[in-house]
Amino acid sequence: MRDIFIVCNNLEELGGLQRWAHHVGRLFAERGHRVHLIGVTHAQDRHDYGRDLPYDLTVLHEVPPPDRRKGRLREMRRRAVQRQGAARLSRMFRAARPGGVIIAAQVWAMEWVALADTADMPVIGMSHESYQATKTSSRYERVKRHFADVHRFLVLSTEDADSWARDGMSNADFMPNPLHVTPTVRPDLSRPVVELLGRLSFEKGQDMMLEAWAEVRAGFPEWRLRLYGAGPDEAALRRQAEDLGVTGSVEFRGTTADVEGALNEASIVALSSRVEGFPMSVMEAMAYGLPTVAFDCAPGVRELITHESDGLLVRPGNTMQFAEQLARLMGDEGLRAKLGEQARSSIQRFSAEMVMDRWERMFALVDR
Amino acid sequence: MTDVSVVVIVYNDADRLPAAVRSVLGQSHRDVEVVIVDDASTDATAGVADALAAAEPGRVRVVHRADNSGGCGQPRNDGIAESRGTYLMFLDSDDTLDQHACRNMVAAAEEHEAELVSGCCWRVYPDKGEESAWYRGVYRERGVYASVRERPELLYDTLSTNKLYRRDFLDREGLRFVERLHYEDLLFSTQAYLAARKIAIIPHRVYNWMIYENAETLSITNQRAELRNFADRLEIFRRIDAVYVRYGADDLKLSKDVKFLNHDLLLYVRGLRSRDREYREAFLALAREYMATIDPRAYGEAHELQAIIGFLVARGDDEGAVTAADYVGKGKTGKPRLTAPLVERDGRIYWSCDHLDTEEGRRILDVTELGIHSLPLKSLNPGGRVTGMARAGRELRLSGDVVNPLNRIRADAGLSARLEFRDRSRTGRFFAVPAEVTLAGGRLRWRARVVPGRDVRPLGFVDQSWGLRLRLKAGEDELIIRLFGDDPMDVSVPVRPRLTRLAGDHFEAYVPESGEMAFRLVAHGRAGRVTLATLRRLTATGRGRRWWTALLRAERRWRTVFTRRSTKLAVYNKILIRLPIRRDTIVFESHLGKQYSDNPRYIYEELRKSGAHHTAIWSYAKNPAGFPKDARLVRRGSWQYYLALARAGYWVDNQGFPRDAVKRPQTIYVQTWHGSAYKRMGFDEPQVKRSTRAQRDRFQRTVDRYDAFLIRSEHDARTLAKGLGVRAELIRSGYPRNDPLVNGGDTTELAEELKLTGDDRKVVLYAPTFRAGPGGKALKRFEMPFDLEEFAEELGETHVLLVRPHYLNAAVVPPSLRGVVRDVTAVHDVTSLLLLADALVTDYSSLMFDYALLDRPTILFAPDLQEYARSRGTYFDLRREGPGPVVTEPGELFAALADLPGVAVRYAERRRGFVERYGEYDRGTAAKQVIDRFFTGGRDA
Repeated sequence: MRDIFIVCNNLEELGGLQRWAHHVGRLFAERGHRVHLIGVTHAQDRHDYGRDLPYDLTVLHEVPPPDRRKGRLREMRRRAVQRQGAARLSRMFRAARPGGVIIAAQVWAMEWVALADTADMPVIGMSHESYQATKTSSRYERVKRHFADVHRFLVLSTEDADSWARDGMSNADFMPNPLHVTPTVRPDLSRPVVELLGRLSFEKGQDMMLEAWAEVRAGFPEWRLRLYGAGPDEAALRRQAEDLGVTGSVEFRGTTADVEGALNEASIVALSSRVEGFPMSVMEAMAYGLPTVAFDCAPGVRELITHESDGLLVRPGNTMQFAEQLARLMGDEGLRAKLGEQARSSIQRFSAEMVMDRWERMFALVDR
Repeated sequence: MTDVSVVVIVYNDADRLPAAVRSVLGQSHRDVEVVIVDDASTDATAGVADALAAAEPGRVRVVHRADNSGGCGQPRNDGIAESRGTYLMFLDSDDTLDQHACRNMVAAAEEHEAELVSGCCWRVYPDKGEESAWYRGVYRERGVYASVRERPELLYDTLSTNKLYRRDFLDREGLRFVERLHYEDLLFSTQAYLAARKIAIIPHRVYNWMIYENAETLSITNQRAELRNFADRLEIFRRIDAVYVRYGADDLKLSKDVKFLNHDLLLYVRGLRSRDREYREAFLALAREYMATIDPRAYGEAHELQAIIGFLVARGDDEGAVTAADYVGKGKTGKPRLTAPLVERDGRIYWSCDHLDTEEGRRILDVTELGIHSLPLKSLNPGGRVTGMARAGRELRLSGDVVNPLNRIRADAGLSARLEFRDRSRTGRFFAVPAEVTLAGGRLRWRARVVPGRDVRPLGFVDQSWGLRLRLKAGEDELIIRLFGDDPMDVSVPVRPRLTRLAGDHFEAYVPESGEMAFRLVAHGRAGRVTLATLRRLTATGRGRRWWTALLRAERRWRTVFTRRSTKLAVYNKILIRLPIRRDTIVFESHLGKQYSDNPRYIYEELRKSGAHHTAIWSYAKNPAGFPKDARLVRRGSWQYYLALARAGYWVDNQGFPRDAVKRPQTIYVQTWHGSAYKRMGFDEPQVKRSTRAQRDRFQRTVDRYDAFLIRSEHDARTLAKGLGVRAELIRSGYPRNDPLVNGGDTTELAEELKLTGDDRKVVLYAPTFRAGPGGKALKRFEMPFDLEEFAEELGETHVLLVRPHYLNAAVVPPSLRGVVRDVTAVHDVTSLLLLADALVTDYSSLMFDYALLDRPTILFAPDLQEYARSRGTYFDLRREGPGPVVTEPGELFAALADLPGVAVRYAERRRGFVERYGEYDRGTAAKQVIDRFFTGGRDA
């Protein structure tokens, strides 16, 4: 039994990272650990992650700390605020019993952990996106700076860990997301519905999905594409659907709380993202025995899906091939059943049990 | 019990031992111990080691050996005996472990139950501030292997130090280091690889191999010791062969033999250059005896040149072997240097004219595929020598020669040369004197006289070493030839450094490690002797050395910053574009400066004809040869280039000026582009589609610099311009380069150049499109999708084939086919090639659009049409709309070529439709329209 501190940017947003934090918090607690989830600040839009949680929730800054901006005075003020938050962290860390660990789940949150007194506990850093995604963003320099000296730096897949190791992060290792759903129903794969769940945003690539859809639609008049989720690109996507003349077969369904209900009506799940980490929507689909067509946009995707065995992978951005593979699945119920069945069993590699065991081994290792 | 014992061996290294030991004690994995084995050091090492042990009792122990072993084997074995850990590692006293080495290795060992774990070793050069991964290829990703047979390339990494061994594994196999032989690592690691029941590989850095720059010394290495080393190495190899046999792994011997050729032998043969006859004889005797045991298949699997080296050594031809070693190149430092004259026999190129009497010799020495015979003169890089050096008063008389490979350098080209003294630590700084050159006996002989006191003015202290090179002009080509000194010559001559006599007063000839002939600054006078000796003494101390290297590094850094692209761009974007603009200047560029060709060329020529008073500036990428003499030439990427861009009134180009260079609003950018599109372009391309928003915005920004964009048809507007996201004005002029295709043009000059005058065979141009390798980079060598020999046999009587791969790829045409196949890669201007050709063969190149204007037969040879269309995406169906038949088999291609009149007739309708759809604006007046519109019409069009 350990004190486990999980420090994130915030714990309230509706996002993959937050879902992950609450999920592993619960799993650690179930294993008898004392879990402290810590958000640096509040989110703007707060999602309800439930009551009577089996772990503590702390927010360091009620008012969001100032952003990094030019100007020496501003920077001094920012630092002062940051130090206050870090002091709160230090108090929590010092109160921990021996054997505790600190998990800095995001690089921004790590800035606070770095300033705090960790009371000799090992610090585990994490990045929840692919190496390539970090590499092309402003986070890259910060990850290399702030996570250089943590005891372990965890990313989502072996391939990402190897990329970081090659890039000089000799503390890099991997820790997949644990499977977070336990299906109670089983889609029968006969309904002519393709679903895509995700924020309507450039990153999720629904624009490419629509292009591909425009190519396959002609051959499959009875099929529908359902886009679940809301987001900044909604208007543009509706316009694009109109330009492509596919409005009749594309349904914008908005956000849903009932993922199981939605998946139960699908026969195929699509992932058209430009960037991903270890996509939960694919894990969900696989757990429900649904075949997935996905752009091979991140190591996490290929770690989950084995092409032609439990899903279909397409070269990123190649909408023609995406359309081709969709059409293959739409026209072949046998293939859907075969891939879906395989998906259901292969996703168990990432069952909560397996992943939590890996975490325990990781904790034991950093103690030595 | 401890997890990991690290055995640190040390001999006379008191200074660095503490750092090595600290790197172990500071491991993130805390359960480690250190066993220091002092190999009877004679300096303070023993005391330092004891102090380290006293400071960390229980974690550090010391073994003091009574006598020096002279190697690493015995001390390491002593350390193994003394250690108590479950796992073992070895560390040398001048190196360090990465902070997480033990944690990563232990984790991998436990996760996979591996007996041997190996991680990446990095070579660190503290003086230069550089580092590089050792055998990166082996350590790209993690892996677990039940046997080394699953991953034989592991055997390439023969270090014993970047590895973690289970102690019970070493004991079970009786694995210890061999004693009294050098290269004990090789044997030990081979045995470990073979004996381990499971091997884990991790890409993480585990070991820092520190390499300190040696002060360059004159001392000739002890030849006898070197020969002993070589003999030891061969003995180790023999024992490794025995190990293979013991573990039933004879099949691995081949890969070791290949490595011997590729790596080990090369290393020694390189060293031969400065060795005397006696040494060479002894070396050859050792090598030939060993090479009798090599698997003959190794020659086939080794790299081409390395196989030649092995073959020639085995035949006792050390001279020949040395020339082959010269052409291998040495990573960053040494370019390949051609010191063999090569011979052509029966249409093939051979490395040497000897040893061609056997089939084996002809096979191994055949270097046609290297394509040297068709390299541009500039890239030939022939090797030169200094053979004579004499002092007459203050004057130095130098002479030497340069090989003339395949007689490519021709006397009638008009030869002239300058001899240059170059600062060896700074690129681009040199002093030159005239030299005489003559061609004689297949070699180029040169002679020069120089008065260093007058002609060469070093600064002193910071530029101690000066190398010799010859700058040879042969017609339009300029070759820079490094001059090598085979024998060190004992000559010194007065020189006057700018920092007075304190910095030295004589140039002394010497041959540094690189083998080039060089001079170093020495002091014969008292003043210089004192200052130089003081400097040397200062830099020998720890602090002085750090201070001096810091100074040199700062200077080097400043120089690299100054010449860096990002610096130039920043200065360009912040300062240069604020300079006053010169309305009348036009910067032209074609294909990133690689050619004088395409639309920009035809616009330029029309501009010259129109008599408009503009200043034209042409950008060239590497070689100014072939660019117009009446324009100002700037090298792409140079400071002058950026200055020209900043101040130009117009930019004219067909591909893209540096993409982060801002275009001033007053500058007019005419983007002509370089062809209509069959494959999807820009935002329609999968590669761009998938890119992030930031990448797309960047792409859009570069395109938004265009003010005008030339198109050939509405098809271009719908596909190309839309795909690229062009928001500039579309100029519906057609392509200037196509004007001659409509109006007719003169090809006599080109025909003459290609020796086709009076040849009444059909001229077929084969111009396939760009091909990328697996990594997305251009394929260096283009694999011909049909057999050229077969073409020659079937159609050689009636057809001539001109081969022109995309300008980023290259193909090799063997000289035997010279009569039938011509490589026309070097011809800048494709328009005249189109005019000359009676038929075009391509796959997806945009040339099909241009060639259609001539209404001559086109054959689309596209073996991978389906795959290409699927992976790249296309704008129309080639089979339905293409200007000629689509064929996928060489047989079909030859049949179609044999019946060109038939193809012409059958596809006449298609061609007409094709031109109407895709070339409607090509009416032969494009260049004039562009000139009228932008350069002779109203100002600020």
